[in-house]
Parts: sequence; structure tokens; C-alpha cells
Amino acid sequence: MVINPTYLAVRTRSSRSFDDARKRVITSYREWLRAAPEVQSMYSLNMPVSAIRTKIRQEFERHRYVSQLKTVDVLLFNSHQEYQETLNFWKQLTHVLKYFRMEEDPKAKLPKTFIQGFLEGRN
Amino acid sequence: MTPTYRAAANTLRTAARPTLSLRAPFIARVQAARCISEEAPRKVSPDDPPSGEAGRKSPQNLTRTEEGASGGQPKHQPDYNVAADYRTSNFSPVPMRVMDGSEPGIDTPAAVLSGAPMDLQARTVRIYRPAKTPTQSGTWHGHHWRMDWDVLSKGHRWENPLMGWQSSADFMQGTHLNFNNKEDAINFATKQGYEYFVQEPNERKMIPKAYATQFVYQAKKLKEVRTK
Repeated sequence: MVINPTYLAVRTRSSRSFDDARKRVITSYREWLRAAPEVQSMYSLNMPVSAIRTKIRQEFERHRYVSQLKTVDVLLFNSHQEYQETLNFWKQLTHVLKYFRMEEDPKAKLPKTFIQGFLEGRN
Repeated sequence: MTPTYRAAANTLRTAARPTLSLRAPFIARVQAARCISEEAPRKVSPDDPPSGEAGRKSPQNLTRTEEGASGGQPKHQPDYNVAADYRTSNFSPVPMRVMDGSEPGIDTPAAVLSGAPMDLQARTVRIYRPAKTPTQSGTWHGHHWRMDWDVLSKGHRWENPLMGWQSSADFMQGTHLNFNNKEDAINFATKQGYEYFVQEPNERKMIPKAYATQFVYQAKKLKEVRTK
């Protein structure tokens, strides 16, 4: 009996070297960037496509300095998992908007200076 | 070109330029040095710096330091420029450093992979041996090492306005982790990126005593104990 994989399913593999990992990261990034207008229309987001692309860039930049290949492999797997879940419409609006919480919710930001943190009581 | 797109294009161009600042980890700086010799940097737009600047830097100027991406940041100051994640609330403390996977001594950077909130890397953790129950003589429960989270300054506890119940914004309150020895606890805290301090236990001093020591010969005048 043939098992039909879901749309955007990908076989798990490890990167052979850092160059291989680099290519996979850039391919993943390009896929995300190309999917940004579709994400905006699917989930009816009230923000321009450039804001979604900036957020994608921010999430990739968060892990820019990872030095181990296995960590990069796991992060790539997570990235593709999120990509599949988003484009298959398995997510709901709340799951997509949680990435934009820092912009939308004024209470969710860290203080910018020492004095502000001191007055809020969290330093 | 909208401003956000231009900013993103600038960051892309800075990424293409060889990074020789100490903010980049050692491996990125070595790879960047290899790129300098292979390709000459070109000016893509007037925003780029003059191409002579990158050409003057040579691979021999690289400093071989084993620092992570945080470079020369002071390690005891809170880092206000860290990219916060979606679980930050208005009770979250400011972290000193957030693990980004470039630390050289850690096998599994679990803070990057586990998906745990960034708040946990901001909070200090105490590693200690719980004291024995003072009301009893048994020393059970006193041989393992425990990891405990320090309380938050503001969101630790308040009274619920409706019913007077104790509410808390601290999701680690009342959480302990138990370990068999101190090294396991320290390795766990390093792996998860927690700030930790170890509190050495107060060991009980057992002085072996014997009744016969009172009658041992002493060269000095004996102490007279008046019992009446």
C-alpha cells in the first residue's frame, strides 16, 4: 500500500558540511520569503508583506551565530516544520500572530534603559 | 524602495561584506578572511563604504580569541538590545546574555533548541543541598542537589482582587529539579543557559568523643570541677 505524503513533506536528512547547511538555510529562507504574500492572504493579516518578511529575517538572524552542525540541522527541521504547518493552513491566526507579539502588545517589550527597568522593577 | 526594504537590503549587503568585528564568532571571522582573498569587494550602491577599507584588512590581523558572538560585551550588565521572544511579559527580567549557539564549550546548546522562554535565561538559579529536617536526626533527603529559581521582583505574588487568592506571574515558582551531584546540576544549568550560583552546604561537624579522654595525662594543672 502506498503512503501518500502530505503537501510540502520532506525527508529528514543531516547536512554533510557547513556549506551544505548554508545552502539549505538559504533555500529555506527563500521559500519563506516567497510564501510571505500567501501567508498574508491565507490568514488575513493586517500588515504589509514587508513586515512579514522582516519578521522572517529577524527569526533567521536570531540563530545566525550557531557554530554546531547538529544544532543547525535541528533548526532547519523546525523551520521547515513551521513552513509546512503555515502553508497547509494547519495553524490558526493566533499561532501566526504570536510571532508579532512584540509589535502588537505594548506590555510585551523589555525595558530599553536601566532607569526604565528600575522604575518597572525588573532588572 | 520602501524604508524597510532598504534596511533589509543594507543588512544583506553587510552580511556579504567580510565580518572582521569581534562580534562575529571565530569561525565566521576565519571564513570571512578566506573570502577576502577570493573576491574583491565591489561598491553596489553609494551606501556602501569605500572598497579600500575592506581591502586593507588582511587575514594576519585576525585575533584568535575564543569568544562567542557577544564579543566584548560586559558580562555583568543586562543586555537591553537582546531580541525578545513572544513569551516576554511585563514581569520578565532583562537577561545578561542569551545563548545563541556559538559558545565553544557547550555540547548541546539546549537553550537554542528547547523552545524554552527567554525569561529563563534571565533568571538566576540556585544550586544547593537542602538541609536536613532540624526536628529529626535522620539525614535522608539531604544527599541530593537541588536547583531552585530565584523569585521575580514584581510578578512573584499578589492578591487576587476578586477572591483574595494568591496569584502569581512566576511560572517557575514551586519548581525544583533534583540532581545526584553538583557537577550534573552545573552542567544542566550551563546547557540551558541559566545564570546560576552554587551554595555550598553547611556540613555538620562530628567530633568523635570518648569518656576516657578525661583521664589522659596532662602536664598542666588539672581543671577542678566543683559538683556541689
